[in-house]
Amino acid sequence: MTAIAFAFPLATGLHARPASLLQEACLRFDAVVVFRNGRSRRRADAGSVLELVGSATVAGDPCRLEISGPQEKEAAQALRAFLRHVLPRADDAAPAAAVVASGSEWLPPSFHEGSSRLFRGRALAPGLGRGRVVRLNRTRALPARFAAGRKDPQLELRLFQEALAKAREEWMRLAALPGSAVGAAILKAQLAILSDPKFHGTIGHLITAWKLPAGAAITRAAAALATELQRSPSAYLRERAGDIREIAARLGEIVYGGAADAALPALSGATILLAGHLSPAALLALDRRRLRGLALGEVGFTAHVAILARSLGIPAVALPPAALAGIQAGEEAIVDGRRGLVVAAPGAALKRYYRLEQEAAARRELPGATGKRPAAQTRDNRRIELAANVGSAAELEPAWRSGAGAIGLFRSEMLFLDREAPPGEDEQYAVYRQAALSARGRTVIIRTLDVGGDKRLPFLRLPVEDNPFLGVRAVRFYANHEELVRTQLRAILRAAANGRCGPLKVMVPMVTGVDEVALVRRLLAEAAAELRRRRVPHARRLELGIMVETPAAALAIDLLAPAADFFSIGSNDLLQYVLAVDRGNAALACLYDPLHPAFLRLLQHAALQARKAKRWLGICGEMAGNREYQPLLVGLGFDELSMVPAMIPVARERLAQLDSGECRALLRRALRCADAAGVAALLREFNGRGSNGSPRVIAAQLVRLDSASRTPGEAIKELCDMLELDNRIADASVLEEAVWKREETFATDLGLGFALPHARSSAVRVASIAFLRPARPMRWSVPGKPVVRGILLIVVPEKGGEEHLRLIARLSRQLMHEDFRAALLKARAKPAVLAALEGCLRSH
Amino acid sequence: MKIVAVTACPTGIAHTYMAAEQLEKTAKKLGHSIRVETQGAMGIENALSAREIREAGAVILAADIAVQGSERFAALKKVEVSVAEAIKRPEAVFARLEK
Repeated sequence: MTAIAFAFPLATGLHARPASLLQEACLRFDAVVVFRNGRSRRRADAGSVLELVGSATVAGDPCRLEISGPQEKEAAQALRAFLRHVLPRADDAAPAAAVVASGSEWLPPSFHEGSSRLFRGRALAPGLGRGRVVRLNRTRALPARFAAGRKDPQLELRLFQEALAKAREEWMRLAALPGSAVGAAILKAQLAILSDPKFHGTIGHLITAWKLPAGAAITRAAAALATELQRSPSAYLRERAGDIREIAARLGEIVYGGAADAALPALSGATILLAGHLSPAALLALDRRRLRGLALGEVGFTAHVAILARSLGIPAVALPPAALAGIQAGEEAIVDGRRGLVVAAPGAALKRYYRLEQEAAARRELPGATGKRPAAQTRDNRRIELAANVGSAAELEPAWRSGAGAIGLFRSEMLFLDREAPPGEDEQYAVYRQAALSARGRTVIIRTLDVGGDKRLPFLRLPVEDNPFLGVRAVRFYANHEELVRTQLRAILRAAANGRCGPLKVMVPMVTGVDEVALVRRLLAEAAAELRRRRVPHARRLELGIMVETPAAALAIDLLAPAADFFSIGSNDLLQYVLAVDRGNAALACLYDPLHPAFLRLLQHAALQARKAKRWLGICGEMAGNREYQPLLVGLGFDELSMVPAMIPVARERLAQLDSGECRALLRRALRCADAAGVAALLREFNGRGSNGSPRVIAAQLVRLDSASRTPGEAIKELCDMLELDNRIADASVLEEAVWKREETFATDLGLGFALPHARSSAVRVASIAFLRPARPMRWSVPGKPVVRGILLIVVPEKGGEEHLRLIARLSRQLMHEDFRAALLKARAKPAVLAALEGCLRSH
Repeated sequence: MKIVAVTACPTGIAHTYMAAEQLEKTAKKLGHSIRVETQGAMGIENALSAREIREAGAVILAADIAVQGSERFAALKKVEVSVAEAIKRPEAVFARLEK
């Protein structure tokens, strides 16, 4: 017997899709393969998808394949390759869970106008769809008559086998339809259940030995299997019980007459389909050109039908039974997959509101809106990469959305913390690969394992040290754990394999000298050699950089440069080593100051050496994200500033105001200061100076004239969407809620032709104003003549931004002056309006 | 007349300053001298001194929230209005001082 041990790599657990792949791989050989899960203690015949799924295997479980039989050797070889290359990617076809969190319960006022009926549920698939309601009355439970028996087991068995064959045919036909790879994969997984010996074996046994009629046998077998799945610790696997029930329902329908396709309505015109339950097969069989939205019963987020709806871009919401019953066939409805809401008989105001939302969504989809943004640059057009620091794959998308041009620091140690054994190559590969794919051409710098010091790993058994920050941490333990590092490097090399995805780079922490870099270079070469031997696709070349966080490295960049492709300053640790201050020690907090002239001098030395050696230099500590310090960093000539994603829009605005020449002059003066307080005073003076431009709280894209908005609800919505589109706020709907809560305390229509809605909200990244001039005057809060001709929305972040508050106070004061109001209301074109606003923000 | 005033609104971002500006503008027009303290998101600005309060003939409190340090004005003739009123009908606010 041959045994292969592995850690289960898929985050979603061993569900039907990977199980059917494994079964396929096993059935190609004349060998018996047993799957064992060391954690759940379950044993499964790898030839049975159901037994595999029933093993309740979740990510990271220690598993074993035991292979015996005539083709043991061949099977073992093939399965090793399968575990390495196929299994970790089994979920790649499935789209990542989209953000459809419904979040707050609050709804904008447009929702409460008119006759609209609102039904709250859970969001399953994002997007908006509008159409006439068609109800589909199919239940997942088998009708009672299924149990009514004919007494001839042989006949029942034949009926069942015929139904099985017919269902298989149906599933294969649907899976072969073009248009949905995800749908095909889901159907294939269900097909594997249909073909599963345990499934039809159990049913056959119930018919022949227990003399049950076919319907009852199917129901009972399905119930037993579903129960087994529902015991699984993985939510994903629990929802697979739905697959079993779907298959059983369809089999029953075939045995007792009634074709599924006949029950599906032909859709005419835009349709919202209302169904307590819908199988992926039925969804695929529907006319998707006309299907605009789904309102389903109690369906989970990872149910196959929900996954399929997301992959097909069909908005979907799960509703409680009472809500489902409250919507009539034939009436108009809107499915709102963002809020998890279905609106029946929407009124005119609400339809207009949703039209605005759809327009905003369409603009967001334009190239450049959510994807890559133009590189950040200074006022004198010097390009500086603004990058994000992230600690896990989940933080990638928010980072890209905030406008990051790269990931300047991907902390890989998060993968290693809180576990008994290190993550395997495949598990790491899956994470790094996700990072590379999400980057779409942008760079991702992965820092190799950085533990020791304040981060300890149980499986590393590092010595307990008196002074861990000066002890065996990061690159210093690599020599004693070569395989751990090689494994990580192999995973990175593999994830970097394909040129289509963003280039991956690696960065080594805590380097003090060339021999440490040489060690990592050797391990990298060995990792590549092993991948070559295994014939696994991997990157030919991987840029290797040094994280400069020891004074030794900062002082010896010229010596390290021949061995390194790039450098990135880790300012947090570097500062504590330069000043000999424990950064966790509150008593010394006042000494831990990056403005210390000694620290700035060291940075300048490093920057000069890097430039001389023609090496790229970034900085990825807290310092990089601080807008007060950014003039110094521009003066130092960094190529990249890497920070927490939320700070990126702020930094982008700040850089646009800075002139690199002025920043260099500032740096020269700072380097001559006697102490940190002196530098701080210098910076305060520089940052407060008008000459480097008032912070841009307004921009051309935040002014819109001749807006079609007719109500305050629409105008506020339009303004919030404008701000979101310009990346100044994180979420338009969160801001909208804050603005309305303020508006409810008292309306901001001031009787001067202006409304001045405003809010302070955590959703705001950069204090901003946005201006809207409706084509027709609108009524704001008081009944009577429509008088509001201009709407100025002011938003400020929850914390800080004194300087912006001052500007906004000045703007508010200006609004009391007739000539300023006239300039905003009467100017013919946008540039004149913008000039008036900017003029007001600049003048003192 | 010498007048002191305080403006304050819940968010302290816009209306506090609009009201302050409006009171200053209107006072000038009506020939009064005025000092306005703003209690907004940036904290208290243009804080009134004890002497200014002592020398003033009246105080206008244009606020939608509790004014900090209102006991300072105990001895003064007081007109209390909402921020919106100060912005929309400033002359009416001053007219109330005359009564």
